[in-house]
Amino acid sequence: MSTGEKFFRLTDLLTDRLNPILVKETRQALKSRQFIITFMLLLTVAWLISVFLIVLYGPAVEYGSAARGFFAWYAGVIGFATLFVVPFGSFRSMLAERDQDTYELLSISTLTPRQIVNGKLLSSVVQVFIYYSAIAPFIAFTSLLQGFDFPMVVLILSVGLLWSIFVSMIAIMLSTLSNSRQWQAMNTIGMIALLLWQMSMAFALGAAAFAESVAFDSEEFWWAMICSLTAAGSYFLLARQITVSRLTFESDNRSSGIRVITTVQFWLVWAGVLAYGYWYGVINIEGEAVFALAMMSSLHWMIAGLVFSTESEHVSRRVRRSIPQSGILRLLIAPWMPGGRRGLLLLTIHLVAMVSIGGIPYWPDWIHKLVPLPTWSDPVCSSVMAFALYVYIYVGFGAALGRWGQAITPEFRPAHARVLTILLAALAMIFPYLFYLLEISHWPRFDSWTRVTNPFSALELIAASDGGGTSRHPELTLVFLFMLSVAAGLIFLINLKSMISGVSELLSWQQTAELDTTEPIAEWADVAFEEPSPGDA
Amino acid sequence: MIEPASGIAKVEQRGEPALELRHLHRFFGRLKAVDDVSFKAWPGQVMGFIGPNGAGKTTAMRILATLDTPTAGDAFVCGYSVVDDPDKVRRYLGFMPDSFGKYANMNVVEYLDFYARAYGLKDAQRRDAIEHVLVFTELRKLADKEINALSKGMSQRLGLGRCLIHDPQVMVLDEPAAGLDPRARVELRELIRLLASEMNKTVLISSHILTELGEICDSAAIIEAGQILAHGTIDEIQNQPQRGRLKQRRARLLLVRIAAGSDTEQATSRLERWLLEQPMVKEVQCAAGRAAFEFEGDDSGQQQLLQSLLAAGHPVIEFHGKTQSLEDAFMNITRGITQ
Repeated sequence: MSTGEKFFRLTDLLTDRLNPILVKETRQALKSRQFIITFMLLLTVAWLISVFLIVLYGPAVEYGSAARGFFAWYAGVIGFATLFVVPFGSFRSMLAERDQDTYELLSISTLTPRQIVNGKLLSSVVQVFIYYSAIAPFIAFTSLLQGFDFPMVVLILSVGLLWSIFVSMIAIMLSTLSNSRQWQAMNTIGMIALLLWQMSMAFALGAAAFAESVAFDSEEFWWAMICSLTAAGSYFLLARQITVSRLTFESDNRSSGIRVITTVQFWLVWAGVLAYGYWYGVINIEGEAVFALAMMSSLHWMIAGLVFSTESEHVSRRVRRSIPQSGILRLLIAPWMPGGRRGLLLLTIHLVAMVSIGGIPYWPDWIHKLVPLPTWSDPVCSSVMAFALYVYIYVGFGAALGRWGQAITPEFRPAHARVLTILLAALAMIFPYLFYLLEISHWPRFDSWTRVTNPFSALELIAASDGGGTSRHPELTLVFLFMLSVAAGLIFLINLKSMISGVSELLSWQQTAELDTTEPIAEWADVAFEEPSPGDA
Repeated sequence: MIEPASGIAKVEQRGEPALELRHLHRFFGRLKAVDDVSFKAWPGQVMGFIGPNGAGKTTAMRILATLDTPTAGDAFVCGYSVVDDPDKVRRYLGFMPDSFGKYANMNVVEYLDFYARAYGLKDAQRRDAIEHVLVFTELRKLADKEINALSKGMSQRLGLGRCLIHDPQVMVLDEPAAGLDPRARVELRELIRLLASEMNKTVLISSHILTELGEICDSAAIIEAGQILAHGTIDEIQNQPQRGRLKQRRARLLLVRIAAGSDTEQATSRLERWLLEQPMVKEVQCAAGRAAFEFEGDDSGQQQLLQSLLAAGHPVIEFHGKTQSLEDAFMNITRGITQ
């Protein structure tokens, strides 16, 4: 065996351990015009920049801090390649699989959806490394100049790499959201806009880091880094899970993974707040921080809750077969199992948890003595409660709407319920101003009770503090919270029966191998079995 | 009208079926694309899946290939359910859709190598599988050719090779001969025949070219408007009783050819007149020395008719009943319903 053959045999053995998509995409990329052009352009532009800057700096290149200027330009070039070209390539790569009818053949291989997503992502990472290796000689040259800040360079390149991976994951996820060509065209335009926006954000952040030297010895900097990376990491996992679910076979469980990740995200945020307070012994955490976190959590559950609680109730035999036998275990995992009714249960549990955490200042003294928990002002407590109630009212109503719609016509799909809920929420928001717009009455007063349907308006009032940590409108806050609680209670009662049936159904499922293969297993079955098709006539 | 088949295909059972559709339903809204379809196929069997456009062939095949899920019922490949165990089904099934996409910047070997990896083949096993497929599909000479530059016939061979790369027990081929020239069709037909006869694979194949199916299939299922109208061996399908007017009259279709001479037209016209005078002969159609007609008598009546024909001085050189081809059977069985 010649040396060449030995080498190829060795690479063959090594690539056996790699993801097949990664091997394929790397082979294709190395032959593709887009990659070669980008690579050559990157080298050419970096070289031209070097020449231009050397001429511009003249003899000053030896003195001062020329290295910063050089690196800023190189970072811009590599940023364009890794934050725009690579993520857009990932987006196109996944879209092309569907456009060119290659995805179906891929999906019936023994590759799992997770392997497919990982392969696509890894090939983006490989491309990023190749572009980094192309720019490396120029950065090495910069290191010879005065003012080269090694930690800063490492920070920017590392964050750039992680940012690129994150954006590529989001791009892959977006490419799987729609199968229709019209939507894909819209998606592509949206993707380009999103990539340009995030790239400009990245450049602005990079420039700010350059302008104000990063304090690497500051504890706050590292806390901020840890928090940002944790948040980005959790959303990366969420995006990956959504993509995997989109690619998962219809009879598989597409929902539980996403539910688990959104749950972990929620608890990470609040566990972080409590841990921060416990660690530093902070008794009065800044209200604004808690308010912001509550707002983010509400938005998180508004979106996730709407998706989960309007999900199709159909659960395949395959999923049913995979659930544990134990009744207690089934009860415990019920909120994370697919189905709208169980989705609403998950939302209910977490909003109750959010209200409970928001009300920590009102927890009994003996708990505060036992564990040093942080506290915050009354308006913050009220705001957290109001946030949770608004989410529950709107999403809970959407869930009920979905069920009612299905009862009227099976053609009422989860997407219809979601769109209708968003429209109704938007209508509720403009409701206080509707009479004014119709020229029936004056612009509603700041303290008008009609503003209760608009969360932004109501929260503005509830959160208004006199500076001493007490509400400026205590009576109205109580009235608003009472009205919201009554509405949320009604929504809870409307949905209670279906949530109970969602859990009891889970408890009653048989886990036998001999499931009846003639029973309808897809959600359209009921309609079609009942009504004859025109062809039957 | 032929009654829809209600049971399992009447082919000789050889152990466990490699492929089984059990009360399979697939509805798209109110459209019943597949409506209670059941049949089985055994190892080494080539089964034709025949039906007009929109009959539900592709839908059923996509369910078998785990690209779609049934509304009700189930399908099994080597005993594994497409609903409950799609991952196991994929190991035992090779699917060739009617049209499949090709990757850019990839040659034949790289294409096969990718799918071999995608099916979990490693090292020597992968190399052997690729080599075997290249030899079987006769693509060895084109191994380094870009797949986008392959002809339609070669692309179909590559598609067949891709299906075979993981050595599946069952192969589902949706219109594999569509768009191929006659030579490529014959070559593909030979390959498919070899799959069943030498590799003992079960092949379910759909095609519009029924004469070809008749030559390579042991059995067939005829589907229309989502329902199986007939299934069984090719002989059983071809011998399906006639429907419509012929069935009501218990008539048989006969063909006569007379020797072509200087005045064939006159002889043909004389034959037509004579046939029309016969009591049990109906629906006579004559042209260029040939006559086709319905005869309502039995075998002895047919014998007497031939004797009379010769006695009347007609220069008969052929006299036979017309056997139904698969195409005739298809036309006879299907009702032309479109959904």
